[in-house]
Amino acid sequence: MSANYEPNIVAFLCNWCSYAGADLAGTSRVQYPSNVQIIRVMCTGRVNPLYVVNALQQGADGVLVSGCHPGDCHYMEGNYFARRRLGMLKDLLEFAGVDPRRFHMSWVSASEGHKWKEVVEKTVEDAREAGPFEGFRRRQIDW
Amino acid sequence: MDLDKLRETAAEVAGRDDVKYLIGWKKGSYGYRIAPAFVEDVEAAAELIFSPLCTANLATYLTLVEKLPLPRGQEPDDRKVALMVKGCDSRAVAQLLAEKGIHRDEVIVIGCPCPGMVDPDLLAEKYPETEEPAELKWSDDGFVIVRDGEETAVPRDELLAEKCRLCRYPNPVVSDIMLDDPVETWEPAEDEGVTEIEEKEVDGRWAYWQEQFSNCIRCYSCRNVCPLCYCQDCILDRLNPTWVNRSVNFSENTAFNIARAFHLAGRCIECGECERVCPANIPLGKLNRKLAREIRDKYGFEPGLEPEGEPFQASYKPDDPEDFIL
Amino acid sequence: MSAMLLNKEKWPDFVGKLTGKKLWAPQGKGEEMRFAPVTEGEAPALEYGNTRVPPKQAVFPQTETMFRFQLGGEEVEVPEPEEETVLLGVRPCDARSMAIVDNLFGWEEDDPYYFKRRELVTLVGLACSEPGLNCFCTSVGGGPASTEGLDLLMTDLGEHYFLEAVTEKGEALLKEAGDLLEEAGDDKVKEKDKKIEESAGKIKRSVDHEGVPESLPGLWDDPLWQSVSASCLGCGTCTYLCPTCHCFDIQDEVEGFDARRCRMWDSCMFGEYTLHTSGHNPRPTRRERTRNRINHKYSYFVDKFDVIACVGCGRCINLCPVNIDIVEILRQVKEAI
Repeated sequence: MSANYEPNIVAFLCNWCSYAGADLAGTSRVQYPSNVQIIRVMCTGRVNPLYVVNALQQGADGVLVSGCHPGDCHYMEGNYFARRRLGMLKDLLEFAGVDPRRFHMSWVSASEGHKWKEVVEKTVEDAREAGPFEGFRRRQIDW
Repeated sequence: MDLDKLRETAAEVAGRDDVKYLIGWKKGSYGYRIAPAFVEDVEAAAELIFSPLCTANLATYLTLVEKLPLPRGQEPDDRKVALMVKGCDSRAVAQLLAEKGIHRDEVIVIGCPCPGMVDPDLLAEKYPETEEPAELKWSDDGFVIVRDGEETAVPRDELLAEKCRLCRYPNPVVSDIMLDDPVETWEPAEDEGVTEIEEKEVDGRWAYWQEQFSNCIRCYSCRNVCPLCYCQDCILDRLNPTWVNRSVNFSENTAFNIARAFHLAGRCIECGECERVCPANIPLGKLNRKLAREIRDKYGFEPGLEPEGEPFQASYKPDDPEDFIL
Repeated sequence: MSAMLLNKEKWPDFVGKLTGKKLWAPQGKGEEMRFAPVTEGEAPALEYGNTRVPPKQAVFPQTETMFRFQLGGEEVEVPEPEEETVLLGVRPCDARSMAIVDNLFGWEEDDPYYFKRRELVTLVGLACSEPGLNCFCTSVGGGPASTEGLDLLMTDLGEHYFLEAVTEKGEALLKEAGDLLEEAGDDKVKEKDKKIEESAGKIKRSVDHEGVPESLPGLWDDPLWQSVSASCLGCGTCTYLCPTCHCFDIQDEVEGFDARRCRMWDSCMFGEYTLHTSGHNPRPTRRERTRNRINHKYSYFVDKFDVIACVGCGRCINLCPVNIDIVEILRQVKEAI
């Protein structure tokens, strides 16, 4: 691992809570690590587990999925489905040998700019500790 | 099990006007092989068997049928399909019913209580196959191999398939006709295969699967044999967008295997077919059983038990565990 | 060409002489053997039935980059062919399959990717002394010591390997080994012949294909196709593991702005194999696909190149999860004619 390694984080944020939360963090001038590439989705319930796998394959060292708190989903129940689904994915990835520090999920509401900062810091820190995830890159093998 | 009774029942069912065909097991072309039998007329029922070699889960054929568009004016053939099931196979049927992949009135389920199957690889390793088809029977405390009129008794533990050692439901959970009295269930073994990997360090697990997945030739037999992989348009076949590239290398193979296992989370009924058919001998069942274990422990859910129940991934409880959430 | 003897004790030295070339040999354990690069300084033990995955991957890799390019760029980069490779311990059926597939890739125009590798590969065969349960090479034109496609054939005579060069490449290998070898006397030649004969006698299964190539297309709508394909799962095991199956698919893979065009094995048993963009599929069910597999091997290929595209290695029979047995299918075909 090189000394100036900076992890790449891909974050899937739901449009209604976490994306607004991240926006709030920005407008309130809250400083948080710039390693995060945000992809806005309408709801965490539409995050296909393969998004996470593909992100890791294409260069992410860590993936974050963030949405509304349980009960707050704009679509009533999307985050409940996501919780089950991605909880299983986390177990599966861990079992397959993907460092558990590479995949996180969080609930960040539109008013939680500060929580967003904490979540990002934790995700980046974890991915930094886990190191670059070269083993899973698409291109490293006979490309 | 009384084979005469099995054949009689099968003949009766296959002879019914509202039955298209009956799917059962018959002797294969050589050695220990078993072939699925599609019985359309009464005579063909005479070749059906049920033996410790009948590992194949025939429920996959319920959804594997490729239906062609009908010529104008032709009525669809909506006769029923009769299916012989063991305990695990019946769970596949129950899960298909729960997911509404099939309708209850499309199938006639013939239940075969199952005292446990042999592991075909283990069997062939210890008692090499010959070109003559061999027979296997259950005895009180194990299996009997019948070959050229000679009988060899083998203790149960020596040949019992892994999936059967772990089995908790040897008796069919759904059936219209039961061919025998329920067998006595046994204490399921600890799933050491999964535990062993769980106990490894994260890098050790990665290395383990890296070795396994690099052997994958992407023949998709694991997907095709699975009774619960029945999407008309599989995500692995999609090209636009391409979820998993077609190129065969460790990265894509891993993505493929993760996707396959994940799509069976809360649905896999642990019939072990994926593992049996894999030409690269990848222990695919471990991935599925790990998920099944987590789901049982964390969510108290087991698939393939309630034909009317709600599928795991299509339902939720407000108090589902969320200790992994930041 | 010349026949020589190699004492098995000198086998590691013989392998050592091949340095500078990439060595492939059967590796793995038990039934999971497959051809893989040999670690330098090691002499592979050649005690195995046959590899599960055929060595066709040495000349026709499962995934092969045809060229790389940049999105929006104007140049393509074609990968350089690899270094010389020697395959040790190829079974005669698998070597024969390469000779058969050469026809296809050389049909009208040579396929540059295939032949580049083909020319760089030297095949050192090992005659079969213990044929497998489902081997039927003798009835489709091969045999446990067939030399077709090979450069050098070795026969295990207990203490020695009996080496016969088949091509100039093989002759060159013998020359390189030079002083490790001894001349093979007449008695050894006889011993070898006897061994081969014994081995051929151990092959139990056979197909009778007389008249099959001409009459197969006539069985187009025969009910036998429905019955033999009823249990087919539509997986790619039989075709991917077949040494003569050679179908491929071409895909572009893109990562950011980097892209490559590559080709990979495809299987006629997959539903999407013949699927048109319109949604129409001329082989809509497994019945048509199974029929095509048999027709291709035993009729179309014969028609075109005058050789059956099946070498009788038995892999598709061994590994079919639902016991679809090509020997049995051909027996039924023969009956139906």
